[in-house]
Amino acid sequence: MALDQIVDGLSEVSCDVLVIGGGTAGPMAALKAKLKNPKANVVLLEKANVKRSGAISMGMDGLNNAVIPGYATPEQYTKEITIANDGIVDQKAVYKYAQNCYKIIEELDSFGIRFLKNENGDYAVKKVHHIGTYVLPMPNGETVKKALYRQLRRARILISNRYMATRLLKSSDGRIAGAISVNTRTAEILVIKAKAVILCMGAAGRLGLPTSGYMFGTYENAANSGDGYAMAYHAGAALANLECYQINPLIKDYNGPACAYVAGPFGAFTANNEGSRFIECDYWSGQMMLEFYNELLSGKGPVFLQLKHLHPDTISEIESTLHKVERPTRGLFQQGRGVDYRNESIEMHISEIGFCSGHSASGVFVDDNARTTVPGLYAAGDMASVPHNYMLGAFTNGSVAGIDAMEFADNHDFAEFDAADVATERDRVLAPTRREDGIPPNQVEYKTRRLVNDYLQPPKVTRKYELGMRRLAETRQDMQEHMIARNAHELLRALEVQSIMDCADMAVHASLYREESRWGLYHWRTDFPEKDNENWFCHTLLSKQNGKMTSEKRAVEPYVVPIADDEKDLYDKQRIRATA
Amino acid sequence: MPLASYQTSVPVVVDDAKCIADKGCTVCVDVCPLDVLRISDMTNKAYMAYDECWYCMPCEADCPTGAVTVNIPYLLR
Amino acid sequence: MSSPFESYDDLEDADERLQAADPAERRVAIIALGHSGDPAAVGHLANMVADPDAGVRQQVAMALGEFDGPEAASALVKLLVDPERIVAAAAADSMAEFKDPACAEIILPLVGHAHAFVRMGALRSLKELRCKDTLKPALEALQDPDAAVRVQAIGVIGFLKLEESIPALTALINDPDAHVRRAAVSALAFSQMKPAAETITRALKDADWMVREMAAETLGLNVNGSLAADQLVGALTDEFWQVRLKAIRSLGKMKIERAVRPIGHCINHDQANLRKEAAAALGEIAHPDGEAFLAVIADDADPDVRKNARWALQQIAARKARAGA
Ligand SMILES: Cc1cc2nc3c(=O)[nH]c(=O)nc-3n(C[C@H](O)[C@H](O)[C@H](O)COP(=O)(O)OP(=O)(O)OC[C@H]3O[C@@H](n4cnc5c(N)ncnc54)[C@H](O)[C@@H]3O)c2cc1C
Ligand code: SF4
Ligand code: SF4
Repeated sequence: MALDQIVDGLSEVSCDVLVIGGGTAGPMAALKAKLKNPKANVVLLEKANVKRSGAISMGMDGLNNAVIPGYATPEQYTKEITIANDGIVDQKAVYKYAQNCYKIIEELDSFGIRFLKNENGDYAVKKVHHIGTYVLPMPNGETVKKALYRQLRRARILISNRYMATRLLKSSDGRIAGAISVNTRTAEILVIKAKAVILCMGAAGRLGLPTSGYMFGTYENAANSGDGYAMAYHAGAALANLECYQINPLIKDYNGPACAYVAGPFGAFTANNEGSRFIECDYWSGQMMLEFYNELLSGKGPVFLQLKHLHPDTISEIESTLHKVERPTRGLFQQGRGVDYRNESIEMHISEIGFCSGHSASGVFVDDNARTTVPGLYAAGDMASVPHNYMLGAFTNGSVAGIDAMEFADNHDFAEFDAADVATERDRVLAPTRREDGIPPNQVEYKTRRLVNDYLQPPKVTRKYELGMRRLAETRQDMQEHMIARNAHELLRALEVQSIMDCADMAVHASLYREESRWGLYHWRTDFPEKDNENWFCHTLLSKQNGKMTSEKRAVEPYVVPIADDEKDLYDKQRIRATA
Repeated sequence: MPLASYQTSVPVVVDDAKCIADKGCTVCVDVCPLDVLRISDMTNKAYMAYDECWYCMPCEADCPTGAVTVNIPYLLR
Repeated sequence: MSSPFESYDDLEDADERLQAADPAERRVAIIALGHSGDPAAVGHLANMVADPDAGVRQQVAMALGEFDGPEAASALVKLLVDPERIVAAAAADSMAEFKDPACAEIILPLVGHAHAFVRMGALRSLKELRCKDTLKPALEALQDPDAAVRVQAIGVIGFLKLEESIPALTALINDPDAHVRRAAVSALAFSQMKPAAETITRALKDADWMVREMAAETLGLNVNGSLAADQLVGALTDEFWQVRLKAIRSLGKMKIERAVRPIGHCINHDQANLRKEAAAALGEIAHPDGEAFLAVIADDADPDVRKNARWALQQIAARKARAGA
């Protein structure tokens, strides 16, 4: 049989709760849903293989935002996130996360996931943030996915690997009814009817093009092509603050984190070419990225992560984590370049743009129960709008989503969808396979992402955005009329490009809508260089209304943890202005 | 429009002598998040079929016989 | 189309496949058993621990790591004593993930094994089980000739947090190996008793900087740590800055007012990390005497230092305001 030969086929299954995306939030959502009602059917659908999929495929350096009694309080955490996100936060969900996450850590610990402990077996929490102490390293974290997978097998979750979800199904009254997916190795279509659906498809990580030019050399797991954002959009769900991009400081060319959270607590810091620190705090935020960007352009760059002032034994300790988990090829990369941290600093650069709430605040709008604006549809993890929630947020909010979705499923019957919707989607999915001749997906993708870099990368200039919009529209037309897929694998890529294109359009729309600058580099608009609290102290919600992309304002919910003016002030005074 | 094939040097290398795909192993193909590894019809051994790699390592870490080597893709080496 | 779901009947032809003549085929069968997550797989795996092929035994050791409990433990202890290092290492890693305290009694006999690697692996896996029966053998293992074994034994004892183990941990302060001394200091953190704090304090004078660093940090965690305030102040002149940094942090955390001046004198150090930590500690202590020192770094070249100085001044101002009110 020829490689990845296309097979014609369509089948349908049904379940109570469907979880899409088996990375971090997804497995937890599936597990909690099943534990809530062991008699119910829970399907976990994954584009790759749950065993090693998602951002945490090889584990993580550590939990970035663990709220552990004795080290930080939920109030303190909520304040820090609110301030780091320029106040545009619905605190309820953040606060709930902060209250629940310790329980989740203990649960993960009981699964056999190993966190750094001192000789008394207590968690060894480290400080990186502005005020509180939140970082819990995981030097043996490479087994995270194995441990999760074990739990899924034990609970008898129905796991579908190598199925890529492409669109959601809804009933005529707007309730969620299921999803359509395609097998990535055969192109067979699978329709899954479900009473409730949870989206856990990660960040939109393939939006910008890495400076190396290698399309899969992204910061995010390159399987996260923004399908979740595109699907939520087409299903009519609202997406929040998409203009608040994700941009991260990374090892240049390697394009993975260095990572300040591992090395920082040991004393490493980000320095300019003169060897001095120029950032107030290594905690990742739009403000930090702006300082980084300015330094690179100021002539004081390049920028480095500096370790060489540390004792060689300390450096060895850092290396043992950096080169074993999260991005274990970091050691290989440095070795290839002959870089030894003991006498040379790590050259850093800034990443391509993306959407992500895990690191920033751009995601499908959810409330504190992980509910989107579509009844029965949930979202958790990097693609849901709870800001800065990282890995532990994905686990904790995944758990919230799983429980609430099962409750919803227990109280609702299947919603009916229109069979014509399936037929339409099948035609859209298979269209590239039906063309004899045309442009392969890799070229369409390269061009789209190159345009994203050229026109959308901040600073955001209105005129550039308008030009970018035109170029993207031309490319979209090529994509819709001429893209070909000659086998099932190429079809997977062809479908991903369509998500990438949708995300690019949403990035443009959302960025042009918010007429101010906010979140440091993430949304720095040169035509509106000031922060405008009077008109824009609000969320922006983007959604599809009557077939058209639309944006609107939404008020920030009243704070549950009030922030005194002088606390805000202290932070604001430290800020470097975008125009400086 | 005619298509040309585009040559690249792939980052992941499999040692055929160690690979036991011919005995039924598919571990690396199963775990790869980008789904770029396949078992060759000709040699019955695993190989990288598509140069779309996140250099993330599960293929190397999970291979039972140590047959897989992940290199940094040339463009970013 | 075949079922879109992963199968749950991996065990069907397990026995037959485990008998295959080709060791590679046996390996593949073992991978499937580990993958199944089905507790019934443990029995099949246990039958394979004496396979003639070391690669197969290694695979069994890895697969058993997917399970917890006495049955998996019984099989793994056999693999931990395997003469092939790759097998023993895989077994040690798998055992380190055990959580079920019932595994303890199966692992315990290995604490007295002839090979250091086995003793170390056994002790490592006992830590997380936090089982009181492990205390005695672990205390005995503190006399082990191998330092790495002694470090693991300290962990087993330290995780239990029993005051009765303090004398034994204290004795290790004179251990010839620095890693052992460092671990022992860290393990004393929990103790409510003064002698433990005194022992940690003595470690501030250790010959090895990592032990001194650990001592300075641990005093900040110990309930009686403030009794050592003077000695911590003394550590502010330690020859190595990473030790001084931890001393500053602990003094700040404990809000030791008489440390303000000595910390203040660190404020000009050429390591920005140290200046930053000094500023933060002066803020935590919030004594007005800190202001003069903080003024020195108000225009520091390092923004993180400046930020901490600003924050510290604000803390002092707030305290003054409270006192005035
Ligand atoms: C390199 C890196 C380092 C990081 N370091 C840290 C750290 O040290 N500490 C920390 O706390 N956080 C860290 N993070 C963040 C953290 O890992 C993420 O926030 C978290 O894992 C996100 O979980 P998720 O479930 O939302 O996404 P993921 O875990 O990425 O899962 C998304 C899943 O969806 C699947 N999927 C995508 N599209 C489809 C589709 N169409 N159909 C079916 N399935 C689909 C993907 O294959 C993937 O498995 C890091 C992230 C990265 C990328
Ligand atoms: S995992 Fe290793 S042995 Fe198995 S197919 Fe891949 S290369 Fe071959
Ligand atoms: S390194 Fe990662 S993406 Fe590349 S082949 Fe291996 S598993 Fe796949």
